Amino acid sequence: MTATGRTGPHLSWSERLGVRPATIVQLCAIAVAFCSLWCVIVAAQGQGNSTPGVTYERILNSALEPQNWLTYSGRYSGWRYSSLDSIDTRNVSRLRLQWVFQTAALGQFETTPLVVDGILYGTGQDDRAFALDARTGRAVWRYRRNLPEKVEPCCGRVNRGFAMLGKHLFMATLDAHVVALDGMTGNVLWDTVAAGHNKAYTFTVAPLLVKDKVIVGASGGEYGVRGFIDAYDARTGRRVWRFYTVPGPGEPGHETWAGDSWKTGGAPAWITGTYDPELNLIYWPTGNPSPSDYGGQREGDDLYSDCMLALDADTGKLNWYFQFTPHDLHDYDSTQIPILIDADWQGRPRKLLIQADRNGFVYVLDRTDGKFLAANAFGRVTWTKGIGADGRPVPDPGATPDAKGVVVCPGALGLTNWYSPSYNPETGLLYVATSNECDMFTGTPQKYRAGRDFIGSVYAAKPGERPSGALEAIDPFTGQKQWQFKYFSSPNGGTLSTAGGLVFAGDSDGNFIALDARTGKDLWHIQLGAAIYSAAITYLLDGRQYVVIPAGAALFAFALPRE
Amino acid sequence: MIGTAFFAAVLAGAYSRGNAAQAKRVTTHRPPADNLVKIKEGGSLFRTNCAPCHGLNAKGGGKGPDLTSGRWVHGSTDAAIIRTITQGVSGTQMPANDLQDSETRAIVAYLRSLSPSRNPAVSGDRKKGEQIFFGKGSCSQCHMVSGKGGSLGPDLTRVGASRSASYLIDSVREPGKELSDGMVDPNNHYADALVYDTVTVVTRDGRRITGIAKNEDEFSIQLLDAAEDLHLLLRKDLESVVHERKSLMPSYSQEVLSNAELRDLVAYLESLRGNP
Repeated sequence: MTATGRTGPHLSWSERLGVRPATIVQLCAIAVAFCSLWCVIVAAQGQGNSTPGVTYERILNSALEPQNWLTYSGRYSGWRYSSLDSIDTRNVSRLRLQWVFQTAALGQFETTPLVVDGILYGTGQDDRAFALDARTGRAVWRYRRNLPEKVEPCCGRVNRGFAMLGKHLFMATLDAHVVALDGMTGNVLWDTVAAGHNKAYTFTVAPLLVKDKVIVGASGGEYGVRGFIDAYDARTGRRVWRFYTVPGPGEPGHETWAGDSWKTGGAPAWITGTYDPELNLIYWPTGNPSPSDYGGQREGDDLYSDCMLALDADTGKLNWYFQFTPHDLHDYDSTQIPILIDADWQGRPRKLLIQADRNGFVYVLDRTDGKFLAANAFGRVTWTKGIGADGRPVPDPGATPDAKGVVVCPGALGLTNWYSPSYNPETGLLYVATSNECDMFTGTPQKYRAGRDFIGSVYAAKPGERPSGALEAIDPFTGQKQWQFKYFSSPNGGTLSTAGGLVFAGDSDGNFIALDARTGKDLWHIQLGAAIYSAAITYLLDGRQYVVIPAGAALFAFALPRE
Repeated sequence: MIGTAFFAAVLAGAYSRGNAAQAKRVTTHRPPADNLVKIKEGGSLFRTNCAPCHGLNAKGGGKGPDLTSGRWVHGSTDAAIIRTITQGVSGTQMPANDLQDSETRAIVAYLRSLSPSRNPAVSGDRKKGEQIFFGKGSCSQCHMVSGKGGSLGPDLTRVGASRSASYLIDSVREPGKELSDGMVDPNNHYADALVYDTVTVVTRDGRRITGIAKNEDEFSIQLLDAAEDLHLLLRKDLESVVHERKSLMPSYSQEVLSNAELRDLVAYLESLRGNP
């Protein structure tokens, strides 16, 4: 199915900000009142206790305060887009390094920092955390979690960032706890056990703050966990609801697992979801069934692995689901950021959800009810014979991994992966880092052992092809490529879009790059010395726009020279 | 169901190969019929735990040596192999593995079930081979052994411990043969770029440079040519960058190196087991 008949998106300035026109007047009034009070307080007292900190309303209206970065994707819609435009296509080549902050830890640095009123809050490898003066990079405090000797993250001792409410920061940890820290000191306020780390439950996700709840999703799809998404009371740390992503006996979907395979079914939820406040629905994607590449032990669709889940934000009740890859055999976690766009679809305005999925298709769903509208391949795809009119893929038996190995595209790391895409409402384009790699998959039965890896396979790049990657600008509705900037290596870094007409991105070879959002032209780049495993953020301080990117074990902040 | 079918096929293959190769080397390790279940489990465990370094067929990968050659550098008894698996090998990339005792034994059973590689008896004279390596063959122009020689190609100080004779013969006669086979065959790192791929660049002023890319990204390339001159190049200054997907090493045909000379050379290479 294609997007024939689509018009739009219409672009009013309210849409550029991502809020309804009806609310603009109200919001502006609130914003003006806030800003006036804020500026007075901040100017007079710095970042003292008198500032109220982050409220739910501020996150809801984060588009109105681009000087800050209040939630993982910048705003609830998942756009990772900033309306800051003082760095633009004409002056970006003059960007200069302003400061560097070292985490003093090894491993992949995957954080998306938050910036609130001049302070930058980040997490690091091994569940480190820090608060910095966003102007100088000087640490205000540092936190290091005392982790148990044995934790089992599949893919690095990483953490992707904080959520914040008031002066409190929330972090989901490698030993499967959810922790609240005091934003002023880094002291622990509460610490709640979510699951047993001895069974290889871990958290790597940046929580999503919705109203008064801290939402997190489990990691552990490589270890046969039973995935879940949890909500915790931000004040007390008490768990308010849990949604198991693998249904238990008697629950709908349980029949999609053979025998007892549901008990070790995986379907983790390790990337931060997005949220539609009007519908009060959280959109949270899930990962692969376990074992990821061998399906003989788990015949059936394996719900809710590789799904988009729409959960009621207050109760965690499932409103709808859409499964991208039923009975996945290739590790195609759907843990990509769901992007929420309001646009005309076949002649009528609709609330859409866009997902550039690891399985190689960019999906368009109606986010009110999960109705499938379109799926378009945005790269090489050989695991399926195509997507049916109902959104269900047509299986290709030739793509089933066997003991000798079969070559399938995309590879196990997907056409894209967890690293954030961004959406620029002015260009109407989605900016997605992609991996050009097909893999040889082998499938092999494996016994489950608690706390041990449970993959059922091994895979390697297709013989004769060197994996590479690209940053691509694609039409979210048709999957059509507008431009492509080739990477030498497969990427692990996401993208940031700005109203300055720029896309910022980092590659696996350590280059931090600014491209023209309309043409893909490389306007500026700098070698930071180590692979980039995150996406940039931007904020405004003292009238200067900063762009911050993690690389290696350090955060790098750039800005234009002072006039 | 699928799994059963796969394993029936795999087992039939492995076992029949094992039987065919009984003649000399593995007589004492012939898998008894009641061991088949263990071998099957060991095969699965091997694929998930060991294949990334040792290759899917255990014939060696970029990091791990050939485990089908019948030569066990760190001890050939079951106890020694189990120790190697569980404790790793200090000073090498072989890590300690947290496996249950029964799992380790299953992996050993699987490895015992594999036939040795086609491993022609090495009848050459290693002394003569050394002379060829450092003389007529010019191998040492590019390869180093115990600190002597060039640095364009792989260091061969331990090559006798990690590669079979048949592999070494192929590497001399047809050096590009298995360059890009990844995990399936020995000559590449697990999902890594080709380290010894020939790269040819043409500069905007028409200069043509061929060598090995020591590093590369979308903005620059660091190229070591055959004379071991390092060229530090920006892509914007280059007309083209071509990965030729072949080894920079020349093929040594029979006209260049007779079969007798090849046997001598391989005997020398086989004897290279690293510094004590």
